[in-house]
Amino acid sequence: MSKSSLAYKGSVKPIIPGPCSGEVVLVDGHISFFGEIDPEQGCLINLENVCFRDKILIFKGTRGSTVAPYVIYALRRNNIAPRCMLVAEVEPMLIAGCVLAEIPLFIVEKYEELVELVKKIHSKVYLEVCGNVLLLYKKE
Amino acid sequence: MYLTVEQEKMLRGDYGWAIAKAMEIIVRVGEALGAEELVKVEHVHVSGISYSTIGKYGLEFIRELALRAGKANVFTTVNPGCIDYSGLSRIIDNSLAGYQKLIDESLEKMRFKLVYTCIPYFYRPPLPGEHLAWGESSAVIFANSIYGGFTNREGSPVALAASLTGYTYKAGLHLLENRIGRVEVKMPAPLLKVPIGAIGLWIGENIKAIPYIRGLCNISLDEVKNILASMAASGNHALAVIEGITPRGTFKIELEEQVEVENNVLEDYIGGEYSGDSILGYIGCPHSSPRELLEIWRLMRKYGRIRRGKMLVTIPVEFTKLYRGIILELKARGVDIATGTCPVVSKFREKFDYILTNSGKALFYLERIHRVKVKLARVEEIVKELFGL
Repeated sequence: MSKSSLAYKGSVKPIIPGPCSGEVVLVDGHISFFGEIDPEQGCLINLENVCFRDKILIFKGTRGSTVAPYVIYALRRNNIAPRCMLVAEVEPMLIAGCVLAEIPLFIVEKYEELVELVKKIHSKVYLEVCGNVLLLYKKE
Repeated sequence: MYLTVEQEKMLRGDYGWAIAKAMEIIVRVGEALGAEELVKVEHVHVSGISYSTIGKYGLEFIRELALRAGKANVFTTVNPGCIDYSGLSRIIDNSLAGYQKLIDESLEKMRFKLVYTCIPYFYRPPLPGEHLAWGESSAVIFANSIYGGFTNREGSPVALAASLTGYTYKAGLHLLENRIGRVEVKMPAPLLKVPIGAIGLWIGENIKAIPYIRGLCNISLDEVKNILASMAASGNHALAVIEGITPRGTFKIELEEQVEVENNVLEDYIGGEYSGDSILGYIGCPHSSPRELLEIWRLMRKYGRIRRGKMLVTIPVEFTKLYRGIILELKARGVDIATGTCPVVSKFREKFDYILTNSGKALFYLERIHRVKVKLARVEEIVKELFGL
Protein backbone atom coordinates (compact mmCIF):
# COMPACT_ATOMS: atom_id res chain seq x y z
CA MET A 1 0.00 0.00 0.00
CA SER A 2 1.30 3.45 -0.86
CA LYS A 3 2.23 5.85 1.93
CA SER A 4 0.97 9.38 1.98
CA SER A 5 2.30 12.43 3.74
CA LEU A 6 0.48 15.62 4.61
CA ALA A 7 1.83 18.44 2.46
CA TYR A 8 -0.53 21.31 3.24
CA LYS A 9 -3.39 22.31 5.49
CA GLY A 10 -5.65 25.15 4.45
CA SER A 11 -9.22 26.26 4.66
CA VAL A 12 -12.19 26.36 2.31
CA LYS A 13 -15.63 27.93 2.27
CA PRO A 14 -18.26 25.33 1.38
CA ILE A 15 -20.70 26.68 -1.24
CA ILE A 16 -22.40 23.35 -1.84
CA PRO A 17 -21.24 21.09 0.99
CA GLY A 18 -20.65 17.40 0.42
CA PRO A 19 -17.97 14.72 0.43
CA CYS A 20 -14.74 15.70 -1.30
CA SER A 21 -11.66 13.51 -1.34
CA GLY A 22 -9.50 12.05 -4.07
CA GLU A 23 -6.83 12.73 -6.64
CA VAL A 24 -6.36 16.31 -7.79
CA VAL A 25 -6.61 17.66 -11.35
CA LEU A 26 -5.47 21.26 -11.67
CA VAL A 27 -6.44 23.69 -14.44
CA ASP A 28 -4.94 26.97 -13.32
CA GLY A 29 -7.25 29.29 -15.25
CA HIS A 30 -10.83 30.14 -16.06
CA ILE A 31 -12.93 27.50 -17.84
CA SER A 32 -15.94 27.94 -20.12
CA PHE A 33 -17.78 24.67 -19.56
CA PHE A 34 -19.49 25.23 -22.90
CA GLY A 35 -16.88 25.02 -25.64
CA GLU A 36 -13.88 24.12 -23.50
CA ILE A 37 -15.13 20.88 -21.92
CA ASP A 38 -16.24 17.75 -23.74
CA PRO A 39 -19.38 16.52 -21.93
CA GLU A 40 -19.05 13.06 -23.49
CA GLN A 41 -15.46 12.48 -22.39
CA GLY A 42 -15.09 14.56 -19.24
CA CYS A 43 -11.91 16.17 -20.56
CA LEU A 44 -10.76 19.61 -21.54
CA ILE A 45 -11.02 20.08 -25.29
CA ASN A 46 -7.75 21.95 -25.75
CA LEU A 47 -5.83 19.83 -23.24
CA GLU A 48 -6.81 16.30 -24.16
CA ASN A 49 -4.79 14.58 -21.47
CA VAL A 50 -6.61 16.54 -18.76
CA CYS A 51 -9.65 14.51 -17.71
CA PHE A 52 -11.39 14.76 -14.38
CA ARG A 53 -13.73 11.80 -13.99
CA ASP A 54 -13.98 10.90 -10.30
CA LYS A 55 -11.23 13.36 -9.45
CA ILE A 56 -11.11 16.70 -7.67
CA LEU A 57 -11.13 19.53 -10.16
CA ILE A 58 -9.29 22.66 -9.03
CA PHE A 59 -9.60 25.75 -11.23
CA LYS A 60 -9.74 29.51 -10.86
CA GLY A 61 -13.32 30.12 -11.95
CA THR A 62 -15.74 30.00 -14.83
CA ARG A 63 -16.14 32.18 -17.88
CA GLY A 64 -18.21 32.24 -21.04
CA SER A 65 -21.60 30.83 -21.91
CA THR A 66 -24.58 30.57 -19.59
CA VAL A 67 -25.21 27.06 -20.95
CA ALA A 68 -22.55 25.87 -18.46
CA PRO A 69 -25.04 24.36 -15.94
CA TYR A 70 -26.37 21.92 -18.55
CA VAL A 71 -22.81 20.86 -19.43
CA ILE A 72 -22.09 20.22 -15.74
CA TYR A 73 -25.40 18.33 -15.45
CA ALA A 74 -24.53 16.26 -18.55
CA LEU A 75 -21.16 15.35 -16.98
CA ARG A 76 -23.01 13.95 -13.97
CA ARG A 77 -25.57 12.05 -16.08
CA ASN A 78 -22.75 10.59 -18.19
CA ASN A 79 -20.97 9.49 -14.99
CA ILE A 80 -17.84 11.43 -15.85
CA ALA A 81 -18.24 14.35 -13.47
CA PRO A 82 -15.52 15.36 -11.02
CA ARG A 83 -16.14 14.30 -7.41
CA CYS A 84 -16.09 17.90 -6.31
CA MET A 85 -14.79 21.27 -7.44
CA LEU A 86 -12.49 23.75 -5.72
CA VAL A 87 -12.25 27.25 -7.12
CA ALA A 88 -10.87 30.71 -6.32
CA GLU A 89 -14.12 32.46 -7.18
CA VAL A 90 -17.71 31.40 -7.84
CA GLU A 91 -20.45 32.85 -9.97
CA PRO A 92 -24.18 32.02 -10.24
CA MET A 93 -23.73 29.83 -13.34
CA LEU A 94 -21.26 27.47 -11.70
CA ILE A 95 -23.36 27.20 -8.55
CA ALA A 96 -26.49 26.45 -10.58
CA GLY A 97 -24.66 23.69 -12.45
CA CYS A 98 -23.34 22.14 -9.23
CA VAL A 99 -26.81 22.34 -7.59
CA LEU A 100 -28.37 20.60 -10.57
CA ALA A 101 -25.63 17.97 -10.81
CA GLU A 102 -25.20 17.63 -7.03
CA ILE A 103 -21.45 18.22 -7.16
CA PRO A 104 -19.91 19.65 -3.96
CA LEU A 105 -18.33 23.06 -4.55
CA PHE A 106 -15.84 24.94 -2.39
CA ILE A 107 -13.98 28.25 -2.50
CA VAL A 108 -10.32 27.85 -1.54
CA GLU A 109 -9.22 30.59 0.83
CA LYS A 110 -5.59 30.78 -0.31
CA TYR A 111 -5.97 29.60 -3.88
CA GLU A 112 -2.57 30.79 -5.16
CA GLU A 113 -0.74 29.10 -2.29
CA LEU A 114 -2.54 25.80 -2.94
CA VAL A 115 -1.93 25.95 -6.68
CA GLU A 116 1.79 26.63 -6.23
CA LEU A 117 2.09 23.58 -4.03
CA VAL A 118 0.07 21.31 -6.33
CA LYS A 119 2.30 22.39 -9.24
CA LYS A 120 5.42 21.73 -7.16
CA ILE A 121 4.38 18.24 -6.12
CA HIS A 122 3.20 17.73 -9.70
CA SER A 123 1.80 14.18 -9.61
CA LYS A 124 -0.05 11.91 -7.21
CA VAL A 125 -1.54 14.77 -5.28
CA TYR A 126 -4.50 13.86 -3.12
CA LEU A 127 -6.86 16.15 -1.32
CA GLU A 128 -9.52 15.86 1.34
CA VAL A 129 -12.02 18.40 2.62
CA CYS A 130 -13.36 18.00 6.16
CA GLY A 131 -15.82 20.76 7.01
CA ASN A 132 -13.86 23.96 6.43
CA VAL A 133 -10.47 22.29 6.45
CA LEU A 134 -8.53 21.27 3.37
CA LEU A 135 -5.82 18.64 3.63
CA LEU A 136 -3.38 18.02 0.79
CA TYR A 137 -1.42 14.79 0.61
CA LYS A 138 1.45 13.56 -1.48
CA LYS A 139 1.43 9.81 -2.16
CA GLU A 140 4.81 8.13 -2.25
CA MET B 1 -33.21 33.20 3.49
CA TYR B 2 -36.43 35.08 4.10
CA LEU B 3 -39.32 33.84 1.95
CA THR B 4 -42.82 35.34 1.77
CA VAL B 5 -45.84 33.14 2.44
CA GLU B 6 -46.45 32.78 -1.31
CA GLN B 7 -42.80 31.86 -1.98
CA GLU B 8 -42.91 29.27 0.79
CA LYS B 9 -46.04 27.76 -0.72
CA MET B 10 -44.23 27.54 -4.08
CA LEU B 11 -41.26 25.80 -2.44
CA ARG B 12 -43.52 23.41 -0.52
CA GLY B 13 -45.19 22.21 -3.69
CA ASP B 14 -48.62 23.83 -3.26
CA TYR B 15 -48.47 24.99 -6.90
CA GLY B 16 -47.18 21.72 -8.31
CA TRP B 17 -43.89 19.93 -8.88
CA ALA B 18 -42.47 22.20 -11.59
CA ILE B 19 -42.77 25.37 -9.50
CA ALA B 20 -41.43 23.60 -6.41
CA LYS B 21 -38.38 22.36 -8.34
CA ALA B 22 -37.86 25.83 -9.86
CA MET B 23 -38.08 27.48 -6.44
CA GLU B 24 -35.65 24.94 -4.99
CA ILE B 25 -33.04 25.82 -7.65
CA ILE B 26 -33.40 29.55 -7.02
CA VAL B 27 -33.30 29.26 -3.24
CA ARG B 28 -30.28 26.95 -3.23
CA VAL B 29 -28.29 29.13 -5.64
CA GLY B 30 -29.37 32.24 -3.72
CA GLU B 31 -28.37 30.76 -0.37
CA ALA B 32 -24.98 29.76 -1.76
CA LEU B 33 -24.48 33.38 -2.88
CA GLY B 34 -25.60 34.79 0.47
CA ALA B 35 -28.92 36.27 -0.75
CA GLU B 36 -31.25 37.30 2.07
CA GLU B 37 -34.41 37.40 -0.02
CA LEU B 38 -35.84 36.93 -3.51
CA VAL B 39 -36.71 39.69 -5.94
CA LYS B 40 -39.57 39.90 -8.45
CA VAL B 41 -38.38 40.04 -12.06
CA GLU B 42 -40.04 41.80 -15.00
CA HIS B 43 -38.52 39.89 -17.91
CA VAL B 44 -36.80 36.52 -18.13
CA HIS B 45 -34.61 35.53 -21.05
CA VAL B 46 -33.84 31.82 -21.24
CA SER B 47 -30.58 30.70 -22.86
CA GLY B 48 -29.59 27.08 -23.41
CA ILE B 49 -32.49 26.01 -25.59
CA SER B 50 -30.41 24.77 -28.53
CA TYR B 51 -30.24 20.97 -28.71
CA SER B 52 -26.77 21.30 -30.17
CA THR B 53 -25.46 22.89 -26.96
CA ILE B 54 -27.57 21.28 -24.21
CA GLY B 55 -27.92 17.74 -25.60
CA LYS B 56 -30.27 15.06 -24.35
CA TYR B 57 -30.00 15.88 -20.66
CA GLY B 58 -30.86 19.54 -21.15
CA LEU B 59 -33.78 18.42 -23.33
CA GLU B 60 -34.96 16.04 -20.59
CA PHE B 61 -34.81 18.80 -17.98
CA ILE B 62 -36.83 21.27 -20.08
CA ARG B 63 -39.37 18.64 -21.14
CA GLU B 64 -39.93 17.47 -17.60
CA LEU B 65 -40.72 21.01 -16.45
CA ALA B 66 -43.17 21.47 -19.34
CA LEU B 67 -44.82 18.04 -18.95
CA ARG B 68 -45.32 18.70 -15.26
CA ALA B 69 -47.31 21.84 -16.02
CA GLY B 70 -44.59 24.50 -15.67
CA LYS B 71 -45.84 27.84 -17.04
CA ALA B 72 -44.19 31.24 -17.43
CA ASN B 73 -45.17 33.53 -14.59
CA VAL B 74 -43.56 36.56 -16.23
CA PHE B 75 -42.75 37.76 -19.78
CA THR B 76 -40.16 35.28 -21.06
CA THR B 77 -38.15 35.25 -24.28
CA VAL B 78 -35.83 32.54 -25.58
CA ASN B 79 -32.35 32.35 -27.12
CA PRO B 80 -31.54 30.92 -30.58
CA GLY B 81 -32.13 27.25 -31.32
CA CYS B 82 -29.90 24.99 -33.44
CA ILE B 83 -31.86 25.18 -36.71
CA ASP B 84 -32.63 27.87 -39.27
CA TYR B 85 -36.29 28.61 -38.56
CA SER B 86 -37.06 30.19 -41.94
CA GLY B 87 -35.49 27.42 -43.99
CA LEU B 88 -33.46 29.96 -45.98
CA SER B 89 -29.96 28.79 -45.06
CA ARG B 90 -27.85 26.28 -46.97
CA ILE B 91 -24.97 26.55 -44.51
CA ILE B 92 -26.66 25.71 -41.19
CA ASP B 93 -27.27 21.99 -40.68
CA ASN B 94 -30.89 21.23 -39.78
CA SER B 95 -30.35 17.53 -39.05
CA LEU B 96 -31.15 18.01 -35.34
CA ALA B 97 -34.56 19.50 -36.17
CA GLY B 98 -36.43 16.58 -34.60
CA TYR B 99 -34.79 17.08 -31.20
CA GLN B 100 -35.02 20.86 -31.45
CA LYS B 101 -38.75 20.52 -32.11
CA LEU B 102 -39.17 18.66 -28.82
CA ILE B 103 -37.49 21.54 -27.00
CA ASP B 104 -39.52 24.16 -28.89
CA GLU B 105 -42.80 22.40 -28.13
CA SER B 106 -41.92 22.37 -24.45
CA LEU B 107 -41.06 26.08 -24.51
CA GLU B 108 -44.33 26.88 -26.25
CA LYS B 109 -46.23 24.78 -23.73
CA MET B 110 -44.65 26.86 -20.97
CA ARG B 111 -45.95 30.00 -22.77
CA PHE B 112 -42.56 31.51 -23.55
CA LYS B 113 -42.34 34.02 -26.40
CA LEU B 114 -40.40 32.15 -29.06
CA VAL B 115 -38.22 34.95 -30.41
CA TYR B 116 -35.12 32.69 -30.81
CA THR B 117 -32.67 35.54 -30.54
CA CYS B 118 -29.73 36.62 -28.42
CA ILE B 119 -30.84 40.27 -28.65
CA PRO B 120 -34.05 40.10 -26.52
CA TYR B 121 -33.73 43.84 -25.85
CA PHE B 122 -34.91 44.31 -29.43
CA TYR B 123 -38.33 43.01 -28.29
CA ARG B 124 -38.45 44.58 -24.86
CA PRO B 125 -35.74 47.07 -23.90
CA PRO B 126 -35.28 46.96 -20.11
CA LEU B 127 -35.86 50.05 -17.97
CA PRO B 128 -33.07 51.39 -15.75
CA GLY B 129 -33.16 49.72 -12.35
CA GLU B 130 -35.58 47.01 -13.48
CA HIS B 131 -34.87 43.51 -12.14
CA LEU B 132 -34.42 40.84 -14.80
CA ALA B 133 -33.31 37.21 -14.89
CA TRP B 134 -31.47 36.77 -18.16
CA GLY B 135 -29.32 34.00 -19.48
CA GLU B 136 -27.16 34.57 -22.59
CA SER B 137 -23.97 36.27 -21.50
CA SER B 138 -23.95 38.86 -24.32
CA ALA B 139 -27.54 39.95 -23.58
CA VAL B 140 -26.87 40.14 -19.84
CA ILE B 141 -23.92 42.48 -20.20
CA PHE B 142 -25.86 44.59 -22.73
CA ALA B 143 -28.89 44.86 -20.41
CA ASN B 144 -26.75 45.90 -17.42
CA SER B 145 -24.33 48.21 -19.22
CA ILE B 146 -26.50 49.90 -21.85
CA TYR B 147 -30.00 49.91 -20.32
CA GLY B 148 -29.09 49.85 -16.62
CA GLY B 149 -31.21 46.75 -16.04
CA PHE B 150 -30.31 44.64 -13.00
CA THR B 151 -29.48 41.04 -13.87
CA ASN B 152 -26.87 38.44 -13.04
CA ARG B 153 -25.58 36.01 -15.66
CA GLU B 154 -28.20 33.46 -14.88
CA GLY B 155 -27.26 29.94 -15.84
CA SER B 156 -29.90 28.51 -18.18
CA PRO B 157 -31.79 26.39 -15.60
CA VAL B 158 -31.91 29.33 -13.19
CA ALA B 159 -33.47 31.59 -15.83
CA LEU B 160 -36.04 28.86 -16.54
CA ALA B 161 -36.76 28.61 -12.82
CA ALA B 162 -37.12 32.39 -12.57
CA SER B 163 -39.67 32.34 -15.38
CA LEU B 164 -41.81 29.70 -13.68
CA THR B 165 -41.76 31.41 -10.29
CA GLY B 166 -41.43 35.07 -11.33
CA TYR B 167 -38.58 35.52 -8.83
CA THR B 168 -34.83 35.28 -8.62
CA TYR B 169 -32.42 35.56 -5.69
CA LYS B 170 -31.45 39.08 -4.65
CA ALA B 171 -27.67 38.98 -4.80
CA GLY B 172 -24.82 40.01 -7.08
CA LEU B 173 -25.80 42.62 -9.65
CA HIS B 174 -29.34 42.96 -8.25
CA LEU B 175 -27.77 45.07 -5.50
CA LEU B 176 -26.39 48.54 -6.27
CA GLU B 177 -23.49 47.98 -3.87
CA ASN B 178 -22.15 45.26 -6.20
CA ARG B 179 -22.35 47.41 -9.34
CA ILE B 180 -19.13 49.30 -8.77
CA GLY B 181 -16.70 50.15 -11.57
CA ARG B 182 -13.23 49.58 -10.13
CA VAL B 183 -10.82 49.51 -13.07
CA GLU B 184 -10.67 52.48 -15.37
CA VAL B 185 -10.06 51.21 -18.89
CA LYS B 186 -8.90 53.71 -21.49
CA MET B 187 -9.52 52.79 -25.08
CA PRO B 188 -6.63 52.62 -27.56
CA ALA B 189 -5.98 55.49 -29.91
CA PRO B 190 -6.84 55.38 -32.74
CA LEU B 191 -9.84 53.32 -31.65
CA LEU B 192 -10.65 51.43 -34.83
CA LYS B 193 -7.14 50.42 -35.93
CA VAL B 194 -7.72 46.80 -34.89
CA PRO B 195 -11.15 45.06 -35.36
CA ILE B 196 -13.18 46.14 -32.37
CA GLY B 197 -14.04 42.66 -31.02
CA ALA B 198 -10.36 42.28 -30.04
CA ILE B 199 -10.79 44.98 -27.39
CA GLY B 200 -13.54 42.94 -25.73
CA LEU B 201 -11.52 39.72 -25.87
CA TRP B 202 -8.55 41.52 -24.27
CA ILE B 203 -10.65 43.06 -21.47
CA GLY B 204 -12.32 39.71 -20.77
CA GLU B 205 -9.00 37.94 -20.38
CA ASN B 206 -7.07 40.62 -18.54
CA ILE B 207 -9.51 42.45 -16.26
CA LYS B 208 -11.50 40.66 -13.62
CA ALA B 209 -13.19 43.52 -11.71
CA ILE B 210 -16.03 45.60 -13.19
CA PRO B 211 -14.42 47.92 -15.75
CA TYR B 212 -15.20 51.61 -16.14
CA ILE B 213 -14.67 52.12 -19.86
CA ARG B 214 -13.77 55.58 -21.11
CA GLY B 215 -13.20 56.87 -24.59
CA LEU B 216 -15.81 54.75 -26.36
CA CYS B 217 -17.03 57.59 -28.49
CA ASN B 218 -17.85 57.93 -32.16
CA ILE B 219 -18.64 54.26 -32.55
CA SER B 220 -22.02 52.67 -33.13
CA LEU B 221 -24.03 50.85 -30.49
CA ASP B 222 -23.47 47.68 -32.52
CA GLU B 223 -19.73 48.05 -32.07
CA VAL B 224 -20.25 48.54 -28.33
CA LYS B 225 -22.40 45.37 -28.44
CA ASN B 226 -19.50 43.54 -30.10
CA ILE B 227 -17.03 44.66 -27.41
CA LEU B 228 -19.41 43.68 -24.59
CA ALA B 229 -20.28 40.27 -26.07
CA SER B 230 -16.57 39.50 -26.59
CA MET B 231 -15.61 40.39 -23.02
CA ALA B 232 -18.49 38.27 -21.68
CA ALA B 233 -17.15 35.31 -23.71
CA SER B 234 -13.45 35.50 -22.87
CA GLY B 235 -14.11 36.60 -19.28
CA ASN B 236 -17.01 36.39 -16.85
CA HIS B 237 -18.11 40.00 -17.11
CA ALA B 238 -21.79 40.82 -16.67
CA LEU B 239 -21.45 44.60 -16.39
CA ALA B 240 -19.15 47.25 -17.79
CA VAL B 241 -19.79 50.82 -16.77
CA ILE B 242 -19.42 52.86 -19.95
CA GLU B 243 -18.83 56.57 -19.65
CA GLY B 244 -21.73 58.49 -21.15
CA ILE B 245 -23.85 55.40 -21.84
CA THR B 246 -24.61 53.41 -18.67
CA PRO B 247 -27.62 55.12 -17.02
CA ARG B 248 -26.82 57.12 -13.88
CA GLY B 249 -28.07 55.64 -10.64
CA THR B 250 -27.47 52.08 -11.83
CA PHE B 251 -23.77 51.97 -10.87
CA LYS B 252 -21.12 53.51 -8.64
CA ILE B 253 -17.48 54.27 -9.34
CA GLU B 254 -14.67 53.51 -6.86
CA LEU B 255 -11.50 53.35 -8.95
CA GLU B 256 -8.61 51.24 -7.72
CA GLU B 257 -6.64 50.82 -10.92
CA GLN B 258 -6.15 52.40 -14.30
CA VAL B 259 -5.41 50.44 -17.47
CA GLU B 260 -4.77 51.61 -20.98
CA VAL B 261 -5.50 49.26 -23.86
CA GLU B 262 -2.81 49.46 -26.53
CA ASN B 263 -3.30 48.57 -30.16
CA ASN B 264 -0.13 46.44 -30.33
CA VAL B 265 -1.39 43.98 -27.68
CA LEU B 266 -4.72 43.66 -29.47
CA GLU B 267 -2.99 42.16 -32.52
CA ASP B 268 -2.69 38.90 -30.54
CA TYR B 269 -6.47 38.65 -30.29
CA ILE B 270 -7.47 38.85 -33.95
CA GLY B 271 -6.49 35.28 -34.84
CA GLY B 272 -3.63 33.96 -36.94
CA GLU B 273 -3.00 34.00 -40.66
CA TYR B 274 -5.16 31.68 -42.67
CA SER B 275 -4.90 29.51 -45.72
CA GLY B 276 -7.20 27.32 -47.80
CA ASP B 277 -9.91 28.01 -50.34
CA SER B 278 -13.00 27.25 -48.32
CA ILE B 279 -13.73 30.52 -46.58
CA LEU B 280 -16.81 31.65 -44.68
CA GLY B 281 -17.54 35.28 -43.92
CA TYR B 282 -19.79 35.50 -40.87
CA ILE B 283 -21.67 38.48 -39.43
CA GLY B 284 -24.40 38.34 -36.81
CA CYS B 285 -22.96 37.31 -33.45
CA PRO B 286 -24.84 38.56 -31.46
CA HIS B 287 -27.69 38.66 -34.00
CA SER B 288 -27.48 41.57 -36.42
CA SER B 289 -29.47 44.65 -35.56
CA PRO B 290 -31.51 46.43 -38.28
CA ARG B 291 -28.67 48.96 -38.55
CA GLU B 292 -26.08 46.25 -39.14
CA LEU B 293 -28.33 44.61 -41.72
CA LEU B 294 -28.58 47.91 -43.56
CA GLU B 295 -24.80 48.35 -43.43
CA ILE B 296 -24.26 44.92 -45.00
CA TRP B 297 -26.87 45.72 -47.66
CA ARG B 298 -25.17 49.04 -48.45
CA LEU B 299 -21.76 47.34 -48.79
CA MET B 300 -23.16 44.57 -51.01
CA ARG B 301 -24.64 47.16 -53.33
CA LYS B 302 -21.20 48.72 -53.52
CA TYR B 303 -19.36 45.48 -54.22
CA GLY B 304 -21.92 43.56 -56.29
CA ARG B 305 -22.05 39.76 -56.09
CA ILE B 306 -20.15 37.23 -54.02
CA ARG B 307 -17.04 36.02 -55.88
CA ARG B 308 -15.29 33.63 -53.50
CA GLY B 309 -16.24 31.56 -50.46
CA LYS B 310 -19.56 31.91 -48.69
CA MET B 311 -21.14 34.58 -46.57
CA LEU B 312 -23.49 33.98 -43.64
CA VAL B 313 -25.59 36.54 -41.77
CA THR B 314 -27.66 35.52 -38.73
CA ILE B 315 -30.71 37.48 -37.63
CA PRO B 316 -33.84 37.14 -35.45
CA VAL B 317 -36.70 35.23 -37.13
CA GLU B 318 -38.97 38.27 -37.16
CA PHE B 319 -36.56 40.24 -39.40
CA THR B 320 -37.59 38.09 -42.38
CA LYS B 321 -40.98 39.85 -42.26
CA LEU B 322 -39.79 43.27 -41.13
CA TYR B 323 -36.94 43.64 -43.66
CA ARG B 324 -38.13 41.31 -46.42
CA GLY B 325 -36.87 43.47 -49.28
CA ILE B 326 -33.34 43.74 -47.92
CA ILE B 327 -33.17 40.02 -47.14
CA LEU B 328 -34.35 39.03 -50.61
CA GLU B 329 -31.73 41.28 -52.19
CA LEU B 330 -28.97 39.88 -49.97
CA LYS B 331 -30.07 36.36 -50.94
CA ALA B 332 -30.05 37.32 -54.61
CA ARG B 333 -26.47 38.53 -54.22
CA GLY B 334 -25.43 35.14 -52.83
CA VAL B 335 -25.56 35.84 -49.08
CA ASP B 336 -26.78 32.99 -46.87
CA ILE B 337 -29.31 34.13 -44.24
CA ALA B 338 -30.06 32.02 -41.16
CA THR B 339 -32.79 33.06 -38.73
CA GLY B 340 -33.28 32.20 -35.07
CA THR B 341 -29.93 30.49 -34.85
CA CYS B 342 -26.18 31.08 -35.21
CA PRO B 343 -23.07 28.90 -35.71
CA VAL B 344 -22.23 29.08 -31.97
CA VAL B 345 -25.35 27.02 -31.15
CA SER B 346 -25.67 24.96 -34.35
CA LYS B 347 -23.65 22.86 -36.78
CA PHE B 348 -22.45 23.58 -40.33
CA ARG B 349 -23.38 21.38 -43.29
CA GLU B 350 -19.83 21.61 -44.63
CA LYS B 351 -16.32 22.13 -43.32
CA PHE B 352 -14.64 25.48 -43.82
CA ASP B 353 -10.89 26.11 -43.88
CA TYR B 354 -11.31 29.39 -42.09
CA ILE B 355 -13.90 31.90 -41.00
CA LEU B 356 -13.67 35.66 -41.17
CA THR B 357 -15.93 37.40 -38.66
CA ASN B 358 -16.36 40.81 -37.09
CA SER B 359 -17.36 39.26 -33.76
CA GLY B 360 -14.88 38.59 -30.95
CA LYS B 361 -17.47 36.31 -29.34
CA ALA B 362 -17.79 34.24 -32.54
CA LEU B 363 -14.00 33.96 -32.74
CA PHE B 364 -13.85 32.71 -29.14
CA TYR B 365 -16.49 29.99 -29.61
CA LEU B 366 -16.16 28.94 -33.27
CA GLU B 367 -12.48 28.09 -32.82
CA ARG B 368 -13.36 25.88 -29.86
CA ILE B 369 -16.63 24.32 -31.07
CA HIS B 370 -16.03 23.85 -34.80
CA ARG B 371 -12.22 23.50 -34.53
CA VAL B 372 -11.75 25.92 -37.38
CA LYS B 373 -9.35 28.83 -37.82
CA VAL B 374 -11.06 32.14 -37.25
CA LYS B 375 -9.84 35.66 -37.94
CA LEU B 376 -11.34 38.97 -36.89
CA ALA B 377 -12.00 41.60 -39.52
CA ARG B 378 -14.17 44.65 -39.94
CA VAL B 379 -17.51 44.22 -41.72
CA GLU B 380 -16.25 46.07 -44.79
CA GLU B 381 -13.07 43.93 -44.91
CA ILE B 382 -15.15 40.75 -44.83
CA VAL B 383 -17.38 41.93 -47.66
CA LYS B 384 -14.36 43.11 -49.65
CA GLU B 385 -12.57 39.77 -49.20
CA LEU B 386 -15.59 37.81 -50.50
CA PHE B 387 -17.08 40.25 -52.96
CA GLY B 388 -14.03 42.15 -54.19
CA LEU B 389 -12.33 41.49 -57.49
